[in-house]
Amino acid sequence: MSFTLRSVKVPPNSVNLEEARSRVFDFFRSACRSIPSIIDIYNLDEVVTKSQLRSTIAAEIRKNCHVTNPKVIDMLLFKGMEELNNILEHAKQRHHMIGQYVVGHHGLVQDLDSKDQGLSDFLKNFYKSNYF
Amino acid sequence: MAATTGASVFISSRLTMRVSSLKLASISTQGRNTLSFRLRPVPARLRVSCAAKPETVEKVCEIVKKQLALPDDSKVTGESKFAALGADSLDTVEIVMGLEEEFGISVEEESAQSIATVQDAADLIEKLINKTDA
Repeated sequence: MSFTLRSVKVPPNSVNLEEARSRVFDFFRSACRSIPSIIDIYNLDEVVTKSQLRSTIAAEIRKNCHVTNPKVIDMLLFKGMEELNNILEHAKQRHHMIGQYVVGHHGLVQDLDSKDQGLSDFLKNFYKSNYF
Repeated sequence: MAATTGASVFISSRLTMRVSSLKLASISTQGRNTLSFRLRPVPARLRVSCAAKPETVEKVCEIVKKQLALPDDSKVTGESKFAALGADSLDTVEIVMGLEEEFGISVEEESAQSIATVQDAADLIEKLINKTDA
């Protein structure tokens, strides 16, 4: 597989936590700098703003913030870079982006309509995910 | 009596005038040299030290507040540190990226590491804006 825009620059081993941490910040910075082109590729102009995407990316990174093993961090970083490359190469499609990053973990059904107000909690949890 | 006092007054006044004129002359010759040199560099120095404009600091505070989801009445000034406002290091990087987008600048790695307060960020922004204009 050829990574067109951003070659996976993560060498296999970070020496310590500090180096892994700086790599994470570099990755975050490069992801944020590519947000405008992502919005352009997938026509997400009216759906989401740059700062929302930035917060989503930061939340994903923050989910793994408790990890202390530098090798695990390297592996997560590799997966993150692979994901970013896939997105930039247009290997994903618009509904992938919207489902995974715009709507994210909130679920696809929001309580916006008036007729949804009386819905039971069971149904709402059912819509949200398979695992309660 | 009036005449003598008047004469004494005149004499003293003449003397004082002469003395004062002498002093004035010395001051003026010195003053021309020193005052003129002092007037030009001092305003330039003042401009460089307090570099960030208030509206830049204001915009930075707005972005910080929005990013950290602080209520509107919390005080964010030039001297408030990001760590004191409850931002961890990822938040700091995110704030810097938000500032990059807002002001259209591009911040280097090392400069981003050195940002600790709101004033640092505003100064860095000013420097980058001036560099791109110049």
